[in-house]
Amino acid sequence: MSRAWMDRFIDTIEWIAAAFVGIVALNIFLAVILRNTLSYNIPDSFDIGRMLLGILIFWGIAATSYRGGHITVDLVWANVGPKYKRMIDVFATLVLLFVVSVQTWTLFDKVRGTYNDNVLTFDMHMPTWPFFAVAWAGDGAAVLLIAIRTYRLIFHPEEMQEEPKIKAVE
Amino acid sequence: MSTDAVAVLGFVALFALMLLRVPVGMAMGLVGVCGFGYLVGFTPALKLVGQTSMRTVTDYTFGVIPMFLLMGTFVSNSGMSQELFRAANGFVGHLRGGLGIATVGACGGFAAICGSSVATAATFSAVAYPEMRRFGYPQSFATGVIAAGGTLGAMLPPSTVLAVYGIITEQDIGKLFIAGIIPGILAMTMYMLTIALIGWFRPDFLPRGTPIPWRERFAGLKSIWAPVLLFIFVIGGLYGLPFLPRFTPTEAGGVGATGAFLIGLLTGRLNKEKILASLLQATRTAAAVFTVLIGALIFGYFLTVTQTPQKVTELLTGLGLGPYGILALIMVMYLVLGCLMDAMAMIILTVPIIFPVITHLGFDPIWFGIIIVMTVELGLIHPPVGMNVFVIKSVVKDVSFSTIFRGVIPFVVTDLIRLVILIAFPMLALWLPTRMAG
Amino acid sequence: QEKNFELKISHWVPATHSLQKALEDWAAAVEKDSGGTIKSKVFPAQQLGKAFDHYDMARDGIADVTYVNPGYQPGRFPIIGAGELPFLMSEAKGGSMALDAWYRKYAEKEMKDVKFCLAFVHSPSSFHSRTKKIVVPDDIKGMKIRPAHATMANFVTQLGGTNVQSSAPEVRDIIERGVADAVTFPWGSLLLFGIDKVTKYDMEAPLYVTTFAFVINKDKYNQMSDKQKKAIDNNCNTETAGKVGEYWGKMEDAGIDKIKAESSHEVYKLTPEQIGLWKKAAEPLVKTWAEGVKKKGDADPDAALAELKASLTKYNALAQ
Ligand code: NA
Ligand code: NA
Repeated sequence: MSRAWMDRFIDTIEWIAAAFVGIVALNIFLAVILRNTLSYNIPDSFDIGRMLLGILIFWGIAATSYRGGHITVDLVWANVGPKYKRMIDVFATLVLLFVVSVQTWTLFDKVRGTYNDNVLTFDMHMPTWPFFAVAWAGDGAAVLLIAIRTYRLIFHPEEMQEEPKIKAVE
Repeated sequence: MSTDAVAVLGFVALFALMLLRVPVGMAMGLVGVCGFGYLVGFTPALKLVGQTSMRTVTDYTFGVIPMFLLMGTFVSNSGMSQELFRAANGFVGHLRGGLGIATVGACGGFAAICGSSVATAATFSAVAYPEMRRFGYPQSFATGVIAAGGTLGAMLPPSTVLAVYGIITEQDIGKLFIAGIIPGILAMTMYMLTIALIGWFRPDFLPRGTPIPWRERFAGLKSIWAPVLLFIFVIGGLYGLPFLPRFTPTEAGGVGATGAFLIGLLTGRLNKEKILASLLQATRTAAAVFTVLIGALIFGYFLTVTQTPQKVTELLTGLGLGPYGILALIMVMYLVLGCLMDAMAMIILTVPIIFPVITHLGFDPIWFGIIIVMTVELGLIHPPVGMNVFVIKSVVKDVSFSTIFRGVIPFVVTDLIRLVILIAFPMLALWLPTRMAG
Repeated sequence: QEKNFELKISHWVPATHSLQKALEDWAAAVEKDSGGTIKSKVFPAQQLGKAFDHYDMARDGIADVTYVNPGYQPGRFPIIGAGELPFLMSEAKGGSMALDAWYRKYAEKEMKDVKFCLAFVHSPSSFHSRTKKIVVPDDIKGMKIRPAHATMANFVTQLGGTNVQSSAPEVRDIIERGVADAVTFPWGSLLLFGIDKVTKYDMEAPLYVTTFAFVINKDKYNQMSDKQKKAIDNNCNTETAGKVGEYWGKMEDAGIDKIKAESSHEVYKLTPEQIGLWKKAAEPLVKTWAEGVKKKGDADPDAALAELKASLTKYNALAQ
């Protein structure tokens, strides 16, 4: 797998997630406008909105995991030398890989359950499992990306030079 | 092993993993699953992972987080901060320390449309810091003002941390936002007074700017129509102002994000790159927050099984300290924790344990939301570690941590005084929400 | 030697709700019948999981006994949805017993992943509106309504209204903000969630009930001794279903008088002609329901509905 190819793959995943954020906002905006002007509710706008939210978050987690964008406690890491920094990074990434793999596996079970149980949307009675499956695929992508990240961290650490990042959360 | 021992071991493992830089959410999820698995069974524990993950990400009320984040990134990337700063500077720039006062004012204006304290600090490190340095303000003061002004981002509505507090405690996010208005304005006023006092006692320390003609001052005011319009529409819609459509918090976020996008687009301030960057930043941050939310829920189910929240409540209320003694103890705990982790992680990790204590003691949950956000925001600026300080350092490269912390100290003192005022007069937080239109 | 059990009972309404007491009573009865070998702890207010997940939680062993609203997941439990059809039940106790007695054999298919304990309903209720008095089906046209469950949602859509979804604690907020104009909600709970503060007009008619079930983790049940199983079975029957329904029903019914006493509320009854209009309007719902049942293929809908009506007649709870 060439590096350029991997980077393109990662970028694509991130763009998919970003597109979904915009769609969720648009869905809400349209729903509010239609409700307040025409007193019309888009059928299933609620169910579709929340399932799009799920898709956006899982695909976003894929991108975030690769970029090392999760919320972390950097107290120890920031105060040790490069050697220990690297050891900590490898350890943390391995734990991350393990946790997200387990999560992805259990989520597959959840998607299968949704399919078997015939859970439908409220207004139009559409099956919900396809939405859940797309969301799940995001988590699957996360496992792949974290695996790439782990590989690079261990074998090509020079490609993973990380700046202490700005997390515009608080 | 007794359930108490399991709970204690769980916390020890959690802190060990977090200190080894395992993402906070993943660490909570891992420990939560292991603990739940040990006490209840590993098959149910694994089912809990799939169920909690899927339920959390598809919960529409949680949509409030990515939506306000998106509004914030659109606002940041459209450069509205510049105009706010220029407008504020026009009125106060000629006073001693005027640029600092203008920075606080502009931070407040920006905070009224952006939900993040770190984003506010980052924005004004780029906008206000160079100006203050150009006029000869000391480095420590300039960075201190920005670190403190940044915390307004979480205090004034909208506020991501307040929204998360509302989600965890099942309090009305709209009421929480409205409750933050007066304490936020109080914070601005007190920061400005602090700057004025510094200028009074050390006139050599802070320079004056040149006065600007009144006509230009009002011209500057005209250019801030966009943030004002957004604030009135979004927060007004949440509060229930007459003649405005009424929103739920998630809708307010979605409408605010779309509004910020449209304003940016129509005024030519958002080009394709900036739009894409805004979407990306919001996605990344939302994903990071949801990871912590999922982890915290799983960890919370583990704690429920061990009965930790009830035991902590019994323990604390049995100390014989009285409600305010216990409250003080909790505040001290948060200040210590503020050395370790950031605001979001602190809120998500601790509120499920602390909240039952607070309601048991008869404190108002909305008021406590304001108090706790003030406290964790204090953690963002107080030494030895603080996220806002960290962020300023990453934008302003040639400044040392100790310099920033030196500049921040007067504002930490101000914050502590404000905390006492809010505890003594809860009405400051509660008056507006009780008047929300019904 | 019998194993001791400590059951985790999970529900999602506040601890102040009468259901908390009903579940505590249930647990106490099981403990007594088991000679103290089955103890329980009730976890209220979604402490162990979200409302929508409670069936899965019992199935997966996250909790041992859970309180389920099957109508929260359209399509998943179509048969029990018959209980949600409009103008079917007249009161909580008889309605609960009739529903439980009827549903037992269907539960073996529809809720096969769990040990079904009992099914019940709350007191019949109807629309509570902020904006206008709802008298005839045509009034729903253009209104935004928060329905109690999937069947009511279908009704609203069919009458030309639109549905707004929200959890029970959010109902007050969405009505206050005008996101919804009206809600279908039981009377006592209206007060519990403060929704009476934001609504004005209350239709007093047995328009709908919501069905609920208690379900138990199968593995847990199978691990029990025969005596312990009997202690559970003693409290998982039609009689207990009636008790749970009655207990909750009393709480809801007490709400009617309290709301009538509020000067800001107008509580009104329907004339027989108006009720006739509603019943006629509700007929397509029976068809929709029957299609859902046929699609999943666990029962013959026509027979099932006839049986339910017979059961309701037997327990004196068929709405007239
Ligand atoms: Na803000
Ligand atoms: Na700190």
